[in-house]
Amino acid sequence: MGIIEEMSEYLQKGRAKNVKALVQQALDENMDPKVILNDGLLSGMMIIGEKFKNNEVFVPEVLVAARAMNAGLAILEPKLVEIGNEPVGKAVIGTVQGDLHDIGKNLVVMMLKGAGFEIVDLGVDVDPASYIDKAEEVGADIICMSALLTTTMPKMQDCIDQLKERGLRDKYIVMVGGAPVNESFCEQIGADYYTPDAATCAEVAKKVVTERKAG
Amino acid sequence: MKKTDFDIRISAENVCASIGADEKSDLHEEIMEELREMLPAAYEKIRPTALLEFGSLEGYSVEKEGREIKEALFCLCTVGKEMVEWSTRLFAEGNCLGGMLVDAMSDDYLFQMDDVLQESAVAMCRGKGFGIAGRAEAPQDVPMSIQKRAYEVTGAAGEGIGITSGFMYDPVKTVCNIYLLDDDTERFRPEHDCSTCTNYSCRRRNLPTVNVRVVTKEKAVVIRARKSEPLLRSLQENGLFLPAVCGGRGTCGKCGVRFLNRAPEPSVEDRRFFEEEKLAEGWRLACCVYPKQSCTVELFESESGNFVVLAGEEDQPEKRADGEYGIAVDIGTTTLALQLVDLKTKETVDVFTDINRQRAYGADVISRIEASNSGKKEELKRSIREDILRGTAALTENGKIRVRRMVIAANTTMVHLLMGYSCETLGVFPFTPVNIRTIRTSYREMFGNMVSGQPSLQGGADMADFEIIVCPGISTYVGGDIVSGLSVLSFDRKDKPCVLIDLGTNGEMAVGCGERILSASTAAGPAFEGGNIVCGTGSIPGAICKVETDGEQVKVFTIGNAPARGICGTGVIDTVCELKKNGIIDETGLMEEPYFEDGFLLSEENGGIRFYQKDVREIQLAKSAVRAGLETLISKYGVTYEEIDRIYIAGGFGYQMDIHKAVDIGLLPAECEEKIEAVGNTSLRGAVQCLTEEDALERMESMAEKADEVPLSSDKEFQEYYMEYMYF
Repeated sequence: MGIIEEMSEYLQKGRAKNVKALVQQALDENMDPKVILNDGLLSGMMIIGEKFKNNEVFVPEVLVAARAMNAGLAILEPKLVEIGNEPVGKAVIGTVQGDLHDIGKNLVVMMLKGAGFEIVDLGVDVDPASYIDKAEEVGADIICMSALLTTTMPKMQDCIDQLKERGLRDKYIVMVGGAPVNESFCEQIGADYYTPDAATCAEVAKKVVTERKAG
Repeated sequence: MKKTDFDIRISAENVCASIGADEKSDLHEEIMEELREMLPAAYEKIRPTALLEFGSLEGYSVEKEGREIKEALFCLCTVGKEMVEWSTRLFAEGNCLGGMLVDAMSDDYLFQMDDVLQESAVAMCRGKGFGIAGRAEAPQDVPMSIQKRAYEVTGAAGEGIGITSGFMYDPVKTVCNIYLLDDDTERFRPEHDCSTCTNYSCRRRNLPTVNVRVVTKEKAVVIRARKSEPLLRSLQENGLFLPAVCGGRGTCGKCGVRFLNRAPEPSVEDRRFFEEEKLAEGWRLACCVYPKQSCTVELFESESGNFVVLAGEEDQPEKRADGEYGIAVDIGTTTLALQLVDLKTKETVDVFTDINRQRAYGADVISRIEASNSGKKEELKRSIREDILRGTAALTENGKIRVRRMVIAANTTMVHLLMGYSCETLGVFPFTPVNIRTIRTSYREMFGNMVSGQPSLQGGADMADFEIIVCPGISTYVGGDIVSGLSVLSFDRKDKPCVLIDLGTNGEMAVGCGERILSASTAAGPAFEGGNIVCGTGSIPGAICKVETDGEQVKVFTIGNAPARGICGTGVIDTVCELKKNGIIDETGLMEEPYFEDGFLLSEENGGIRFYQKDVREIQLAKSAVRAGLETLISKYGVTYEEIDRIYIAGGFGYQMDIHKAVDIGLLPAECEEKIEAVGNTSLRGAVQCLTEEDALERMESMAEKADEVPLSSDKEFQEYYMEYMYF
């Protein structure tokens, strides 16, 4: 088994120390940091995400795999910056205004990172304008909004309305999620995608951004 | 009152389990170890604070058992902001596992604070001369804005707690419980009510239920039975059906079960139906017994879903989240069938079948009408709507799949019960329906006020609205289910006359083609479903469904090859056919001695399953009603058997019946035997067609309007045929 395959295997098992050591070894052997990232780390994370969606593994397995990925990324990131590696895409994410629940949002951040996205996490209680301002500032592809209660989910609509007012609606892919959100609500407020879980969110985000960039 | 001294130990096992790493997980040990390392820091960071103050709900009130409650004891409790900051920091560092564990530790601590605070709340209320009628939480019991009121009453701002525009507290690990004050000082119910809670994925979800082990002849299963409801209801919810002819009122005595241990005290109803000895053995009526603790119960007469509602739907394609779907519904008096159809490909994607739970109010249409007329109208409406919602939730994976349309086909009584129409006029001359036209309504209108406050129907609540169409009927006795069948069989497009017969209790039938269709219904009675037969039963395991004789030798076949327990419809027809063949009954239906007195023994099992003279008479009445109806209709239509192209037999019973034997006993005409075809559930198929074909509804409406009904009960010709076909 090659070092990259081994790295992916260890990542899926959540062995942070092994992953870290293998990333270092790969760098020492002058392997392309992009290959280490995509084939060693992210591919393993995608497999875990897929297994999670299919109920083959559960939240704890995803968590330890993510931790292993982060351990590897910590070493790899300086090299990636050095060679000017472009992420798959950029996403601005946050829990909507009036809402402080962030566990679901945090898991989405984790999976988006695992799909190769650069993430700007605005945290919780984010007012509609802030999503847009930040997206404009960093040149994001996606705006992701999360809400836990029916009382706060109308804020998603506000953000989309403001995007329209500012003539920016088509510039961004808007994704929504959270316990009370569903497909029809997404359609109703004019968001682009609703995904029921973090793994699906990452999968959809990667697909649509890649397609959009391809033309 | 402010309380900050809590002696609470976080349960590592619970925390682990709450993130999905319980003992069964491969990662259990690893995560437990990680958690143990984090615990000391957690105790450093947790700053428990609870604030309890009395106050009014300020213009708002909560109804509890018919009383309006406006005063409460508000309780806010928090683990402080450091835990929240810690969790956020760990996530930001990419340590999601750590973040999740901190979050789960906070929850565990809060849950334990709640236990302590319930005691404090009871003590405070007792001191003020109040009881606690219950506990309210936002948003499931009260609006989120009440959290603002609680915030003000308890003076939480002074403790550094904030509140957002969405009425959530900051730090997020702060909860609000509202104890509703009661004048009854003997009653204290401060517990969280999981049954109304909307946090469905909560691993601590604890409905007040007990485990009941249910033993039947075929299997033993463990069900969760609610303490607050009669056992009968919990059994029904788990697909275990007992005969409940009286509708669970404790008057028919048919739903007896035997407690093999921990039998509750017998009720008044139990004493009416069971001797002292039987009571001591553990016999109780399921409709009157409330399980209070885990126990084992034996069922003897359970009916499970052995109904052939659909045939041959396999290899179903997958559901697509971006697809558009329709749902076809057939509401039968006994069963309910739903079919999810992809509107683009017109393929059936999924099916859902269940018992119509209105059966708890009586087995046939007449008893349902009676129940409706005696004040059960709303209950019956709710029952069927709940059944449909349950099916819809199952088919759409709790509303995740986009539904555009629903088409419902049902007999006229079922439509009345569904719509909440009065059934007063259905049961008395001249039997006029309230409405038999096409009904156009919507999901919101029909189910809108039911989905909120119904935890079991999660997801239904936020489903996008869609249109609902109820198929038109011809008359009170020939309903939308028949029209639906006529449509799918294309009666309006045929050149030669065809016949459709639904071999159920109401014996609906129609003859015709093109523009002219005649319909009728005959009171066949429940004999074809095993009703009114001494040893009759529904299509349950152990029901004799096939009988062969060779001289004195009798061979019986049962559903599921289980020991014989009774005779179902197909078995009844077979038996009559064999008895006739062997000369045991003559052409008038008279049984020869010694069978006239003792009945004909079919099986030694269960104390002997016999077929009696009375049973022969029942079948004679039923079959002559159907046959005379058919003869009358054909005669009125002005055709002969030769001119009839096809005879379609609809319904589950017709599907299983041996056509040759049905002809042999005279139920169906021998002249047309090769033209007879069992077509299964045409009502449901018609509803599916209505979903996928644009002109289907229009065609149904046109047929329903043009079809005439022949009132058989007053028809002289029918009376003559009725007597004629009584014989074999």
